[in-house]
Amino acid sequence: MGRYVVRRLLQMIPVFVGATLLIFLMVNVMGDPIAGLCGERRCDPATAAQLEKEFGLDKPVWQQYLTYMGNVFTGDFGTAFNGQEVTELMATAFPVTIRLTVIAILFEIVVGIALGVVTGLRRGRPVDTGVLLLTLVVISVPTFVTGLLLQLLLGVKWGWIRPSVSSEAPFDELILPGLVLASVSLAYVTRLTRTSIAENRRSDYVRTAVAKGLPRHRVITRHLLRTSLIPVVTFIGADIGFLMGGAIVTERIFNIHGVGYQIYQGILRQNTQTVVGFVTVLVLVFLVANLVVDLLYAVLDPRIRYA
Amino acid sequence: MLLDVHDLHVEFHTRDGVARAVNGVSYGVDEGETLAVLGESGSGKSVTAQAIMGILDVPPGRITGGEVIFKGRDLLPLKEEQRRKVRGAEMAMIFQDALSSLNPVLSVGDQLGEMFTVHRGMSKKDARAKAVELMDRVRIPAARERVRQYPHQFSGGMRQRIMIAMALALEPALIIADEPTTALDVTVQAQVMELLAELQREYRMGLILITHDLGVVADVADRIAVMYAGRIVESAPVHDIYKAPAHPYTRGLLDSIPRLDQKGRELYAIKGLPPNLMDIPPGCAFHPRCPMARDVCRTDEPPLYEVTESETDRGSACHFWRECLHG
Repeated sequence: MGRYVVRRLLQMIPVFVGATLLIFLMVNVMGDPIAGLCGERRCDPATAAQLEKEFGLDKPVWQQYLTYMGNVFTGDFGTAFNGQEVTELMATAFPVTIRLTVIAILFEIVVGIALGVVTGLRRGRPVDTGVLLLTLVVISVPTFVTGLLLQLLLGVKWGWIRPSVSSEAPFDELILPGLVLASVSLAYVTRLTRTSIAENRRSDYVRTAVAKGLPRHRVITRHLLRTSLIPVVTFIGADIGFLMGGAIVTERIFNIHGVGYQIYQGILRQNTQTVVGFVTVLVLVFLVANLVVDLLYAVLDPRIRYA
Repeated sequence: MLLDVHDLHVEFHTRDGVARAVNGVSYGVDEGETLAVLGESGSGKSVTAQAIMGILDVPPGRITGGEVIFKGRDLLPLKEEQRRKVRGAEMAMIFQDALSSLNPVLSVGDQLGEMFTVHRGMSKKDARAKAVELMDRVRIPAARERVRQYPHQFSGGMRQRIMIAMALALEPALIIADEPTTALDVTVQAQVMELLAELQREYRMGLILITHDLGVVADVADRIAVMYAGRIVESAPVHDIYKAPAHPYTRGLLDSIPRLDQKGRELYAIKGLPPNLMDIPPGCAFHPRCPMARDVCRTDEPPLYEVTESETDRGSACHFWRECLHG
């Protein structure tokens, strides 16, 4: 197990370098990074040259990349062109997005798995058909439609919630955005759990568990659920990274100043430092989440041995 | 009598129609007795066992009639919670494929120990000790170390021993073994069968041995019940059947055993296929495949006749059992 973790950590290095290099290059060809700095006008050549020198933009790209990475590992993500430290932006944005992601993941785990188990055990009955239809609707309607609709109904029409999240973004205000963010994944988790449960329900070892005279709840939680959750855990784990970076739409709708919002702003204002910095952190989140999933896999399924 | 199954009927309701899997089966097992239930796939032998255990998939399965009298009380009208307490504790089942029948993600110690924590309210620690004891009992080497291992880390024979240990855990009065050796190598088959027979003698359990392997039966069974299309067609002490079968189907089964002294000759096979359970032939269900069939077989369903010529308790569901017996 220990050796496996070390090997996996080593494998993360080339993936990390490759992904960040790609982002770095893409952002660099995206356009002139100092174009936006002089307001609506073009910068005059002298100022432009000075700025380029100041930010090190006159050096070759690979050298820029190395300098940048060197700085990243000392905790310096650089300064956005407006003079704000990128780490400062992260310090405000990440806690908000992490809260949002936690809520979304909790919805997926609690609601998604519960619905999946209920429908999987009652396949073909009205509950099953109803939930299945609902998941299909949720999957096919884009998030911004669901989000805006719920915001309009719950926030504006009925006034149950604040339609826009305040800048501190406390947990309770993030419940609805969290649900919206989770909605599509939640539908997938439901379907995945349902199929898995329905399939394993007829398995020989579940029959054995029943023949042993175990109570129904024990048969389901201990014998049926554990094996059925293996594919679901993989999905949810991979989704953590996705939700953290993919909340752009949801964060825009509910005016949440999280990671998605900052990246969006960064791209809009051609703030290379912000974009590269945030994406670099997200790449790390993805890699760690995947590693955790693989390790969890071994815990759930002892047939998988990591040597 | 420990177990007395009387006139059991089981149906399966499917989209294509109703499959009549068990049609009036009656058999009994005494303490310390081994009953072998013989028959082809689809003859209803496993379904009968599942109905006795109360683990039939309902729906699509449905018990439409009969009684399962165990230790003097009929189990069929009991509530699920009461039946559950009987399962595992008073009657246990051993399945064919131990690899798929054991939970792949729980250690064998957990799966054995569970019997004691759930049925006896033991602590996990005590249950673990009991699990080791059981594994020793079924002669699994290094039980203390291996109790933490998972099913896939054991060989086929060892896995089946774990299934046996699990069935034996609470010393039930009755064990139903559904083709316990079919998935095993021939050499291992004999060892496992021997172990099962030995433990059965020691604990004086009733044993229902479901099999299609006549070789296995001869050594361990006291009685044989032969099933065809959801009915018992012949029932007799094991030696009587081998000496002289009283039903053409049993005769066919015996004749299809490969024999060393007939090496090189073509192997006998009962012609035709087992009947479709949704459309069982009228009269004697076996008549389309029977070499002795006459007109009456096509119209009149034979009851289980008492074989009066025998000194032992024998029955045959053939109009012409006398002919067959002397044939």
